[in-house]
Amino acid sequence: MSIASTNRMTPYLFLAPAGLVLAFALFYPICYMIYASFLDWNPSQRIGEAEFVGLRNYFKLFSDDAFRESMGVTLKFAAVVVTIEMFLGVGLALLLDRNIRGMSVLRTLFILPMMIAPIVVGLMWRYMYHPTVGIFNKTLKSWGFDGIPWLSDGSWAFASVVIADVWQWTPFIFILSLAALQSLPASAIEASRIDGASGWQQILYIKLPLMLPVLIVTLLLRLIDSFKVLEVILVMTNGGPGLSTEILSLRINRTASEFRELGEAAAMSNLLLIVLLILTFTMFIYNKAQDARAARLRAVEEEV
Amino acid sequence: MKANKTKIWSAAIAVTLTYTGVAYADGHTADVYAPYEGTTLVVNFPAHPHYNAVLEVLPEFTEQTGIEVEVDQLQYLKMRERQTLELTKDEGDYDLISYVVFSKADYVYADQLENLAKYFMNPRLADPNYDASDLIDGYVANIGVAGGEKGYLPGKTGSLFGIPFGSETSVLAYRKDIFEKHGIDVPTNYDQLLEVACQIPELEPGMGGMASRAASGHQASHAFLLHLAPLGGRVFDSEWNPIINSPEGVAAANALKTIVDCGPEGGTTFGPAEAAASFQQGTSAMFMDSIAFAAGFEDPSKSTVVGKVGYALHPEGVRRGSQTGGFGIGIPSNAQNKEAAFLLMQWLTSKEQDLAIAMAGGNPSRFSTYEDAGLNEKYPYSATFGEALKYADPDWRPIIPTWGTINADIGTTMSQVLTEGLDPQEALDGVAERARAVMDEAGYYTWQ
Repeated sequence: MSIASTNRMTPYLFLAPAGLVLAFALFYPICYMIYASFLDWNPSQRIGEAEFVGLRNYFKLFSDDAFRESMGVTLKFAAVVVTIEMFLGVGLALLLDRNIRGMSVLRTLFILPMMIAPIVVGLMWRYMYHPTVGIFNKTLKSWGFDGIPWLSDGSWAFASVVIADVWQWTPFIFILSLAALQSLPASAIEASRIDGASGWQQILYIKLPLMLPVLIVTLLLRLIDSFKVLEVILVMTNGGPGLSTEILSLRINRTASEFRELGEAAAMSNLLLIVLLILTFTMFIYNKAQDARAARLRAVEEEV
Repeated sequence: MKANKTKIWSAAIAVTLTYTGVAYADGHTADVYAPYEGTTLVVNFPAHPHYNAVLEVLPEFTEQTGIEVEVDQLQYLKMRERQTLELTKDEGDYDLISYVVFSKADYVYADQLENLAKYFMNPRLADPNYDASDLIDGYVANIGVAGGEKGYLPGKTGSLFGIPFGSETSVLAYRKDIFEKHGIDVPTNYDQLLEVACQIPELEPGMGGMASRAASGHQASHAFLLHLAPLGGRVFDSEWNPIINSPEGVAAANALKTIVDCGPEGGTTFGPAEAAASFQQGTSAMFMDSIAFAAGFEDPSKSTVVGKVGYALHPEGVRRGSQTGGFGIGIPSNAQNKEAAFLLMQWLTSKEQDLAIAMAGGNPSRFSTYEDAGLNEKYPYSATFGEALKYADPDWRPIIPTWGTINADIGTTMSQVLTEGLDPQEALDGVAERARAVMDEAGYYTWQ
């Protein structure tokens, strides 16, 4: 072997360990899941004993009303939750991006909800929503209003899980946006002030556009996460009443443990993965398009 | 390697209790137990009041036999997942398992539980004084036997795979003081039950009529089936055609809806624990569920209704039919100490120990235990429970491998009836149609 070809091989040699880890830690489980989704597999069987049924699990899912409803609930939940959290999180960051005494303490306080274990969050909210001894209904009743069926009515239950999720995850968007705000170039903001921009104009035309790359990544992370929420909803409503809060990850969990259909659960997980991949790619493409547009504009400006 | 793995694995379990006792058998039973002296049995029990009582008598077993017992206690729904993994191994770690009644179908079908015939035939193992005829019929039929009628019930082709241990039936618990105050008679049939359930909130503002399970999923399904059997309905007919949408089914759904509507506030999210808590806290006047909750009502540290609770039989619809459920114990096919496990199983369910466990707060598996004077003195409701067991219906819900899917569907649909005003007939028609598809796929109509 010549020295030149050995040299060419060297980078691959160094990459090999990482590649191996990737293959075992990432591709093997995913391939396993994809393979499992083609099986009629009961947890009492070993995977080798399961019957190969081709795409039957997928066909079954598409004709299953409960699955479609659960997919709908998931999309609705993700959209509502992420929209509210983005508005609140970014809003809070804009409000608190200033020198206040004790800011570091405040910041820590704000991100506390994120640090609590999801099971505990679920339990906490479940007790607060309790129809008779929960703090919300107790307060409402002491003011002379009727209690609200927080978890026992379909639409209220959906709103209740949204509220709990917003409470827990707004801080995530808040700290990332705050970090983005504080790393913005002071010169741009000063320049805009000298040009006479009002506070609103500063936010709309300077701060938000400059924060956009961070915001997009934040949005994406939250979106992916919100598709996979399980514990909080499991503890609060277990998907009920009816199927009104049965998001996909809960349905996957039930399909595997309660219905004992591992193949179908794998097929659902794959569909969830595909939805998330589409979302991620759309974001990336959008990002790339934005970059390209900005580059084009810059080029045009430079020519002028 | 394996022993090592087992060690790590059992260390990870939150509640692992090890009993080590004196390794000397007493004179009386030495011959029977001697070959197994020094063996350590690993058993899997649920965290449940009955099994907490069992833990109190277990050290006695080690003392008498020299067989040590290591108990792995898990939450009862988690138990199933762990067992599913354990039972598919070549050599299992569990020698004796407690299983939830609806696991019977899966375990027997997958050939994971030992047929007990060969142990009861073995003169060295089987105790001639065991008196199997004293075991409660409904429980044995429901939890122990498979292979007879419809596959999951006793019959000429059936055989025994487990012994009921920690089994339950349903009774009606009611507030004696409230009933007396308003001159209400204890309901004995469903018309009276529903009437009283809706009368209470008018007479006692702020108090619900009857607390019931109703949460979406398994709980709502359980509550519906509780009324289906006494009102004359079944989920399937004898040829596995779904008949859940019959007039009897609709009547059961309406009964449940009436009970929940007239029940305590927020009742549509109740599981059994919440429903029992509502009764314990005095926010509902009746509670119809498992007998396992009775001990809690009489516990002054948890309950505000101690001494005010009366117990009656599950009211009659067109027939009597209280539920059967709870746990049984069986020997896994991949167990490593099967004979010693059988000896433990036989010891635990013997007359003496059944009584000892009942005295410690467990659920008896034997008629003779319910008739025991000492037990009736300690727990005055025992006689009523013994009476209720005569009407325990082993077929109030089907125990078949496809039940998990159908049960969940009944539960979510019932929840929609209770919370979203879905019409019961329409709801049950939907359930029947989907159940037929599930059964068809599983091959139940192959012979038709």
